[in-house]
Amino acid sequence: MNISESLFQALSAQCQPKELDWLRDKSAKDANSLSLSFVMVPRFIEKQELENEVLSQAASILPDWNWNGWTLDRLARVYLLSLCQERDLSQEEYIKKINLLFDTAELNESVALFSAIPVLAYPEAWMNRATDAVRSNVGLIFDAIAFGNPYPKTYFSELAWNQLVLKCIFNDKPIHQIEGLSERNNEALVQTLVDFAHERWAANRRVPSQVWRLLVPYLNPEILPNIEKLIHSDSASDRLAAALVLAQSSLPEAKTLAEKYKNELPAVPTELWGALEKPEPIYQPA
Amino acid sequence: MCKNPHQSNPSHFQGSAEEEMTASTVEETFEQYIKGMKFFDPHVHMTARTTDDYQALADAGVVAIIEPAFWLGQPRTGLSSFKDYFATLVGWERFRSSQFGIKHYCTIGLNSREANNEALAEEVMEILPLFLQKEGVVGVGEIGFDDQTALEEKYYRAQLELAKEMGLPVQVHTPHRDKKKGTERSMAIALEHGLDPKMVIIDHNNEETVKSVLDQGFYAAFTIYPFTKMGNERMVEIVKQYGPSMIMINSAADWGISDPLAIPKTAALMKMKGIADEDIRLVSYQNALDAFAQSGQIKESDFIHGMEIDQSLKFNGNTVLRGGQAPRVNKNSLIIR
Repeated sequence: MNISESLFQALSAQCQPKELDWLRDKSAKDANSLSLSFVMVPRFIEKQELENEVLSQAASILPDWNWNGWTLDRLARVYLLSLCQERDLSQEEYIKKINLLFDTAELNESVALFSAIPVLAYPEAWMNRATDAVRSNVGLIFDAIAFGNPYPKTYFSELAWNQLVLKCIFNDKPIHQIEGLSERNNEALVQTLVDFAHERWAANRRVPSQVWRLLVPYLNPEILPNIEKLIHSDSASDRLAAALVLAQSSLPEAKTLAEKYKNELPAVPTELWGALEKPEPIYQPA
Repeated sequence: MCKNPHQSNPSHFQGSAEEEMTASTVEETFEQYIKGMKFFDPHVHMTARTTDDYQALADAGVVAIIEPAFWLGQPRTGLSSFKDYFATLVGWERFRSSQFGIKHYCTIGLNSREANNEALAEEVMEILPLFLQKEGVVGVGEIGFDDQTALEEKYYRAQLELAKEMGLPVQVHTPHRDKKKGTERSMAIALEHGLDPKMVIIDHNNEETVKSVLDQGFYAAFTIYPFTKMGNERMVEIVKQYGPSMIMINSAADWGISDPLAIPKTAALMKMKGIADEDIRLVSYQNALDAFAQSGQIKESDFIHGMEIDQSLKFNGNTVLRGGQAPRVNKNSLIIR
């Protein structure tokens, strides 16, 4: 089964028969009609959250693809976009057509387009779109490129990747939803995160506790004092993060530090960082 | 504090001296008269307003708004400016509004002033259908006459045809100058093109235009806007005289001296002056909803109980909005953190 067929199968698990009829009818049409159908989707497909049965199919269609938070109309739009590359279009025509959809997109259309990026043809052609979405102040657009989306980890440069992670923290969103967080982790990112934490501390603000997980592979004696500071934090989450970093690091000085504070440090839970994979908004709505 | 020496308009104030006194004394606490009421502003230009206005709208009970495409004050010189503006109305502004829990819709059209640049108008007409099909675009607007030139008429007619073809309501701007004739002409042309008058909202009415608009079966919208359009005392008298049917009020707040809270304030004044709650609800919420819901693009359940119930905005089952609900700032605090 190719990607569009798999997407249709996923849709079949939740769509009503008349929604499927509409999709079947539209999927037989040429590329121009497909773009029009892409726009018209909410008139014909219900805006329901995806059911678990549908969600579970994402990763088998594309590794590290996660549809958590998607609605049925978004999935239908991604399906219609996946059909465009099966039409008889030159590379130039195809890119022009998709770019027109991006340029004139309404909010939910933008979200669907960024969600579809990993299955569009000519992946490099969408690089500027993807890095622009990271710059976006529209939360939904940022989420669509950042979370559950395998495109950044596959195609982003180190610089673009590091901006994605930093922007995510800056936007007060939990980083564990980014696919490829461990694989693409790097020393430059860790150094920037340490500087960032110092800025936050200077302003009497904190850094979401799970961010410290990124330090583990690059922990060195120079950045170790940051972990010692966490041990003394008022926040139980920070103290847990410190315990986890020290437990997972292979740095001998980390073992010494863990030994020194063995009575203060909380026990390491079996779910490890899972306990800290939650929103920790720094700027609380009053 | 918000008193304005130019504001009272005795020639139009038809209530008792006692009523006038009440209306003037309680002006700064109008909120107490509208507790629990919900409002729909079918004409407000939020791209020209600040986030403070969004906060004030939300606090005053405005749950949904329509932003018509209009003249920016500065003429646009190319198609891209129009395209980006339309994209802003269906994208960025929609998101900005959602941060305050207000559902944002828009109408898309070529405004009358810029219809006078024929070369550009032709290009804009080509991209209009693309935007008119979008989710949450509830009509063609605001279109109509300004100077009442031949070009304005040409593009007014072309856009009426577009609305008819796409089954969308039309939001008609009536001119400031030579208003009465301009309004009659706008209606006559709409009827000539075979539009159902209940699909047409004639905007910026006043005492001189309302009767004919209602008699011909069109929706009559009133813009409560200081100095140049309707004042809300006059509006109360209109509702007393004509009843609430087919009448809606809006703020048309924009980059001029205008008031985004015009609807809640007018509702408070109506309440004080004894207009029935149900009639207030019709002119400040329901009639606008009914008129524009004819587009098939408005779902009341998306906003009537607050936008948090929109499942698509939930964040992993958590009630934090995915887009990030804007944190509230205490405006009276001297300390900024």
